[in-house]
Amino acid sequence: MTTIRRFSCNDLLRFASVNLDHLTETFNMSFYMTYMARWPDYFHVAEAPGGRIMGYIMGKVEGQGESWHGHVTAVTVAPEYRRQQLAKKLMNMLEDVSDKIDKAYFVDLFVRASNTPAIKMYEKLDYVIYRRVLRYYSGEEDGLDMRKALSRDIEKKSIIPLKRPVTPDELEYD
Amino acid sequence: MASKFGLAGGIPERRVRPIWDAIDSRQFKNALKHCTPLLSKYPNSPYALALKALVLERMGKAEEAFSVCLNAKELLYTNDSVLIDDLTLSTLQIVFQRLNHLDMATSCYEYACAKFPSNLDLMMGLFNCYVREYSFVKQQQIAIKMYKIVGEERFLLWAVCSIQLQVLCGNGGEKLLHLAEGLLKKHIASHSLHEPEALIVYISLLEQQSKYGDALELLTGKFGSLIMTEADRLRLQGRLLARGGNCAAATSIFQKVLELCPDDWECFLHYLGCLLEDDGSLCMGTKNDSTYPLKTMDSQVSHLTDEAFGSRLSSASSLVQKLLTEASDDTVRCPYLANIEIERRKLLHGKGDANKLMEALIEYFFRFGHLACFASDVETFLHILNLDKKTQLLEKLMECCEPIPTNPRKTLGQHITVFKIQNIVGSMFTLPLNELETTAVKMTQLYCENLPLSKDLDAQESMYGEDLLSMACNLLVQLFWRTRHIGYLVESIMILEFGLSVRRHIWQYKILLLHLYSHWNSLPLAYEWYKTLDVKNILLESVSHHILPQMLSSPLWADSTDILRDYLRFMDDHFRESADLTFLAYRHRSYSKVIEFVQFKERLQQSSQYMMAKIETPILQLKQKANNIEEEEGILESSKHGVQFLELSDEIGSKSLTFNEELQLRPWWTPTCDKNYLLEPFEGSSYCTRETLYDQIKQSQAKVVKTIEKRSLLPRMVYLSIQCASSSFKESVEANGVVFDPKLSSELRLLLDRYANILGFSFQDAVGLAFDISSGLKDSEAWSCNLIDWMNFLVFLNAWNLYSHEVDGDSNRHGTWLIVNSILKKHILDKVGSMGPLESSPGCDLPNLVLLVTEPIAWHILVIQSCARSLVPSGKRKKKGGPAENFNVQLSQELQESILSVCETIELVRQWLNQQIIKSDDYKSESILSSLLEEKEEGPGKVYRVVESLTSSSTSDVDFGDRITRALQSWSATDIARKIICSQRTALSNFLKICDSKIKSLQALKAHL
Repeated sequence: MTTIRRFSCNDLLRFASVNLDHLTETFNMSFYMTYMARWPDYFHVAEAPGGRIMGYIMGKVEGQGESWHGHVTAVTVAPEYRRQQLAKKLMNMLEDVSDKIDKAYFVDLFVRASNTPAIKMYEKLDYVIYRRVLRYYSGEEDGLDMRKALSRDIEKKSIIPLKRPVTPDELEYD
Repeated sequence: MASKFGLAGGIPERRVRPIWDAIDSRQFKNALKHCTPLLSKYPNSPYALALKALVLERMGKAEEAFSVCLNAKELLYTNDSVLIDDLTLSTLQIVFQRLNHLDMATSCYEYACAKFPSNLDLMMGLFNCYVREYSFVKQQQIAIKMYKIVGEERFLLWAVCSIQLQVLCGNGGEKLLHLAEGLLKKHIASHSLHEPEALIVYISLLEQQSKYGDALELLTGKFGSLIMTEADRLRLQGRLLARGGNCAAATSIFQKVLELCPDDWECFLHYLGCLLEDDGSLCMGTKNDSTYPLKTMDSQVSHLTDEAFGSRLSSASSLVQKLLTEASDDTVRCPYLANIEIERRKLLHGKGDANKLMEALIEYFFRFGHLACFASDVETFLHILNLDKKTQLLEKLMECCEPIPTNPRKTLGQHITVFKIQNIVGSMFTLPLNELETTAVKMTQLYCENLPLSKDLDAQESMYGEDLLSMACNLLVQLFWRTRHIGYLVESIMILEFGLSVRRHIWQYKILLLHLYSHWNSLPLAYEWYKTLDVKNILLESVSHHILPQMLSSPLWADSTDILRDYLRFMDDHFRESADLTFLAYRHRSYSKVIEFVQFKERLQQSSQYMMAKIETPILQLKQKANNIEEEEGILESSKHGVQFLELSDEIGSKSLTFNEELQLRPWWTPTCDKNYLLEPFEGSSYCTRETLYDQIKQSQAKVVKTIEKRSLLPRMVYLSIQCASSSFKESVEANGVVFDPKLSSELRLLLDRYANILGFSFQDAVGLAFDISSGLKDSEAWSCNLIDWMNFLVFLNAWNLYSHEVDGDSNRHGTWLIVNSILKKHILDKVGSMGPLESSPGCDLPNLVLLVTEPIAWHILVIQSCARSLVPSGKRKKKGGPAENFNVQLSQELQESILSVCETIELVRQWLNQQIIKSDDYKSESILSSLLEEKEEGPGKVYRVVESLTSSSTSDVDFGDRITRALQSWSATDIARKIICSQRTALSNFLKICDSKIKSLQALKAHL
């Protein structure tokens, strides 16, 4: 029961039940608005009957050549709507836009190395750990760069895991 | 910063790079050093000056920066040989903007564009300036110029958006839309159309003019493929058809969308609305921006004949069946819910059968009853059932809750759902006390029994059954309301604290707790929990309402200042940067977002909370400095002696305020900030209906407008009161060398009039009432709901009368002093006399007591200070003799008496506070716990004992996992009781300090006289 539509500014005033979750960051306004202005097709919200916000996904598309890829910046679901594969629907949506509209090679995301439940979920959605990024989170915790190849990457080159970890300065895109 | 051909602003890049690098690494001093040789080499380079200004501004030297900017501007205007490029202008623009001189930046660009009329970079810069100034007409003009020069689609769309903004956010008439349409048509004829967003804007333009047919033609024509997602295109098509009145075609389009996206509930409602032609779901033109989703599916009754209605619904059923057959798994819920909606529509049409609706609900329950969202999914459908049917449904659902041994999580989920449904249908509020308690016990037991299900979960993950403790808490609060037994309140707090010790991230518990602690005057603790919610950025607008109003009537001034400051900073930062983000949307061709961003900024600017914070900030400052009249005058001066807030008060009635608080996260007992059912007697369950809630929200919003209007008068009235009081003594004019302007007195009179009107009285009636109450002719009950406002009114009235002597002639001048002194004392006496010990009196009126001292009494002390200052001008000796002398002696005596009276009044509060503080913490926390520990048949303690038995059973065989076991072992109710007491003590001590400082300042004043 999910009406998925583009995220709009007014949703920012209705997403407290999603964002009060301690793992969901409430970014500053320019962050949200930059995503809305630059990648409106990568910022979607799921609405339940009665207009309640169930969750949302924000992302972008960037890179050059074979690094042209979709990126999931945040995906989050309110407690009331968890355990019903909503995150999967939202991720599929972003993957679809990356694949079909922007013809990207892969989709990637970063996750805290300690966030086992999230890593498991992404693995279920066919993401693989591409590389470890040392001290990615506030210079403390390592991040994992997870990727899923899209149809344009026929040989799935983009997801062959790197053998060594990288540091944040080595990242091509932040 | 870009450069062309190694030149930046006409200077070789290598010379400016060190400055850029230093700025980027925030080494501004270093950057400034590099500016000196650059400027000696290029003294006439506006770019070099702009860089210097930029550095100076970053160093906080605003004035110097501004003057350097002006030099640069002067050079640009006068020196024909200097280079004018976008880099120079945009650098200047940054500095001007940061110095709040957007207009200067704009004129630089305007000058440059006039000089180089075909330079596109400069024109884009100018467009950007107009975006920052929200000058929609000028935006349009410059965009058209750019379009004419290069013929690019994007510039035309910039112009079209600027036109739409004139209509939607400015005062442009709708015929402008026709002009925009004409521009687009012409462009398409010669250049075609290339961007999806351009198409969307074009269609919205046509929609705004109700040209649905034209819009459809466009969408279904060759440009339709610009919208690449088929479902999105179809949704738009369906909407246009429906709005154009072609229901049949819209129905079939929505059907196609459902076939593509079977879980799209909103689309199903559109489909059904078009099919039945009842327009229920088709109010698509009006966006629901409310933060309180009261959006119902209240469709009008269909005008179709019974036969047509029946046949159409059966086709809807067939579609739903088809969708159900194709649905591959249980993640698609829409078709199942659709069945329920179909039954509901039948009932609405008078052709339904409530039993069938119930069957559909039960079927839905079998499939999805274990999900946390089941209850909110079906909430709307339950309201159509009568009470009997609701009860029957509840019974049936209970029967369905057979344990599923293979899936205990599902069983638990179903149990929780039944409790939630019980709550929605209102039966929780009709249960007799013992059943209510039994249910709360059951919920807590269920939570405890099912803890092992979560033993392997990560601490970050939601646990199974967390809702149970919130629900049990809600019941316990209801028990507290109905019985007034404090033990229930303690229990409700204990189970939430217990739940948080098991997993500390549950924000739902934190919100409940912070309201319970607020109610119990444990505001420091409430604030602690609030802080753990990490409310920041836009959440400050939608979530602050949980704490802000309580804080503003508390003695926690430092924390209140922090909250207000952070909130206003966020809002003002957004207003500053919003236009730049709008320009970003222009640049990235997200035209629909352009309109959205501007409208959103307006929405926040009209925010009632923002207005409130803007006025409460200076009031809070005035309260904090009220012991020192000079400091108070300093604060007043910074707001033009309160004039700037008067403007707000004048405008507020004509502004349409927005209310952006997410109220649905508030607990049931306080649905809006100004309502707390726990302060009222329990009178049955009628309050909890949705209609009452809706009315309550409306009333509360109307009240906010009045409050802002009233509070905005306050700083000016304080200022005028000080002025009037200072002129009450003869000779004060000559002594101080200040001439009092009688207009100030007339102005105060006018404001008193307005203040009285807002309170629902004429000035004369308000004064009459005050006299009657002070002489005992009338009861002060008439003031009870606006006590603080009335006291403020009296204090200002006295100040005004000190100069004007108009209230009942000269003889009564003495009278207004007396009235204020005695009424303040009486109310303080009433308050402290009626308040029991804090630890056993939740909901006692400490906030109003605090307000009495920190507002009317504080203003009254200022009036006294002002009189005293004019009586004893600093550094001058009092003159002896003369006709005024006797008069002044009398006044001086009045002043002495007033000081004495106010001291005595505050002393009453101090005594009460000391009585509260002197009691030992152990004694108080034991008294809190004792309300739970009595093992009686009736009364509180049963829920608590469930938790207690779980945490104390050291021999438990149950495997809870390490994390939960540790939490259970470390749990201590005594710690919580101590925390409550400690928090109350902190609040009281803060208040005591305020009282002490007031008495001290009065004593010093007395000694000085």
